[in-house]
Amino acid sequence: MEISEVQSSKAASDHYGLLNPNSVLGGVFFVLSMVFLFFIIPNYINLPPYMQHPLLSPQFLPQLAGWLVLILAFVLMVSGLFNPPKREEADELRRGVPVLRQVLMLAAGAIYAMFFEQFGAIGSGIFASVLLFLASGLRSVWIYALAVVFPVVVSLLFIHVLNVPLPTGTLWEALFQL
Amino acid sequence: MDNFSEVLTLFLSVDNFLAIAAGVLIGVVVGAIPGLTATMAVALALPFTFSMEPVTAILLLVGIYKGGMYGGSITAILIRTPGSPASACTLLDGYPMAQQGHAKKALKTALYSSVVADLISNIALIFFAAYLAKIALNFGPPEYFWLICFSLTIIVSVSGNSAIKGLIAAGLGIIISTIGLDAVYGTQRLTFDNYNLMDRVSFIPLLIGLFAIPEVIDFYTSKVAPHIRTAVSGASLTWKEFKGSLKTVIRGSVIGVIIGAIPGTGATSAAFISYSEAKRTSPRKANFGKGEVEGVAAAEAGNNGVAGATLIPLLSLGIPGDVITAIILGAFMIHGLTPGPVLFQENLPLVYALFCGILVSSFVLVFVGNAAIRYFSLIADIPKTILLPIVLMFCIYGAYAVNNSTFDIGLMLAFGILGFVFNRTGVAAAPFLIGFILGPMFEDNLRRTLLISKGDPTIFFRGPIAWVFITLTVASLVFAFRRYWVSRKEQQAEA
Repeated sequence: MEISEVQSSKAASDHYGLLNPNSVLGGVFFVLSMVFLFFIIPNYINLPPYMQHPLLSPQFLPQLAGWLVLILAFVLMVSGLFNPPKREEADELRRGVPVLRQVLMLAAGAIYAMFFEQFGAIGSGIFASVLLFLASGLRSVWIYALAVVFPVVVSLLFIHVLNVPLPTGTLWEALFQL
Repeated sequence: MDNFSEVLTLFLSVDNFLAIAAGVLIGVVVGAIPGLTATMAVALALPFTFSMEPVTAILLLVGIYKGGMYGGSITAILIRTPGSPASACTLLDGYPMAQQGHAKKALKTALYSSVVADLISNIALIFFAAYLAKIALNFGPPEYFWLICFSLTIIVSVSGNSAIKGLIAAGLGIIISTIGLDAVYGTQRLTFDNYNLMDRVSFIPLLIGLFAIPEVIDFYTSKVAPHIRTAVSGASLTWKEFKGSLKTVIRGSVIGVIIGAIPGTGATSAAFISYSEAKRTSPRKANFGKGEVEGVAAAEAGNNGVAGATLIPLLSLGIPGDVITAIILGAFMIHGLTPGPVLFQENLPLVYALFCGILVSSFVLVFVGNAAIRYFSLIADIPKTILLPIVLMFCIYGAYAVNNSTFDIGLMLAFGILGFVFNRTGVAAAPFLIGFILGPMFEDNLRRTLLISKGDPTIFFRGPIAWVFITLTVASLVFAFRRYWVSRKEQQAEA
């Protein structure tokens, strides 16, 4: 293989192919803005029976922004197809990440999103922090003690110092009543 | 005299001084931790301010802003990782100085240059904000409409590497801002009959989601990067050395003030302009980029000169100069205050109490900055494996605290995923926030103008003030796109 061929193949691998972040992102936003403009706006923005001026319509600004996104998404998609962006060094860090690490992060997020009121601020904080420490492969016992200490301290800070109420946990309340 | 005593009553409280000290400390600490940003810290601190007095709350956030500006330079100098884009210029000379064993000198130069620039910037704020607010009293809805159009042009400047992606993000931000009940007709817009969305999308969950959650998701979806440790070593800065750079610091501060007062221009360009100006005029220009004290001083002066000046358009006109002032604008609104000329009319003692606090923050920065230099290793050596679960906890508690609703937690996580997608695809989150904040202002002033004129569009072009803003809008767009184009060409040439 000649030097120029090696260089050109290396240069080609430096860039993404047709399915690159710009073309995909542009395509996704293009479709979403079409749905927004032609389905969501007519069905989910109620118009008043009488309007003084078309620019006073509740649909005006969403339509303006929707068309802006549609046109620019198209431009982004086309520019992505004809001029694929370069791969970044950061992309390498994103390859080969253990699946368990990501699953544990999602589980921690799910605990906060779905069981925050049931477990309470302290309970969900402890469970989620333990999962995230496990996701990072931490093994020291004192670090897991932090997973208990921090939620307790931060919750008390919110509730008693800043007067911001946080849930105590309906599950614990029910258990204590038993 | 009554006003003066009222200002003192508002300002001279232990809470305010504690808020300034805590704010600057949090800002410096967060800025000094690679990967965490001052924007994230301001967003996370916002829920803590609910129960505070307005002055205390704003001073806490301003303290974080100013501390973060300096904190970013610590990592730039020591580990070649700028804590904020504005600190990127500092590493040009700061990092070579650290490599040569003069880390302490570089950090002290950065600190004192930052403090001097911050002080000059604050004085400019005090002098010009009130004056500009007085002019703004003459503005009606058409003038405000054009002012908002002018402010929207900052989107191009904060779009990062792609103006197209930035404008798409801004469009999405505007769409999200229209969710809720229509202000004129009271009809539902994009609420999908969900009562949680009737009163618009909550600002804080959106903010925390966009700026803090992506860092957490990114960490757990990437390989763990090695933790870099470094030491602060070498001789300290002498007065003689700093005196030699004082002219550069003052010039950089003035550049920072001018650039900061123009919405959207930003600290990064101020730092680079100040640096190139110092390089052009310095007798030691050959040493720039190889570890020159004056280089660090120029970059930091330009960078920090912006901090107080970005508050000029915020306080006097009610428009944010950058992302952090956009968050501070949200804090004003949460506390029932609307920045702009009316604030000066109705809450003058509050404005001057803020000015006093902002001035004090410069002096607090000296003490906190010195402590940060001494204890840097303790700050920067906290591993992200421990830090980010705590950050996530703060995010969740903060989002819930807004309305005591788990819906806001879901909303925040949804915006977090959006922010993460933005990060991965090179879309800047700042234009989304600017669109979200300015979208309703744009619509409100457009509608008011049309209602006043009974639908006559010529009202938008009447009066000299409107034409000033039309000219500024066009000029700003041309300037922003030109700058964007030039930087793209430079990047392509480098590639």
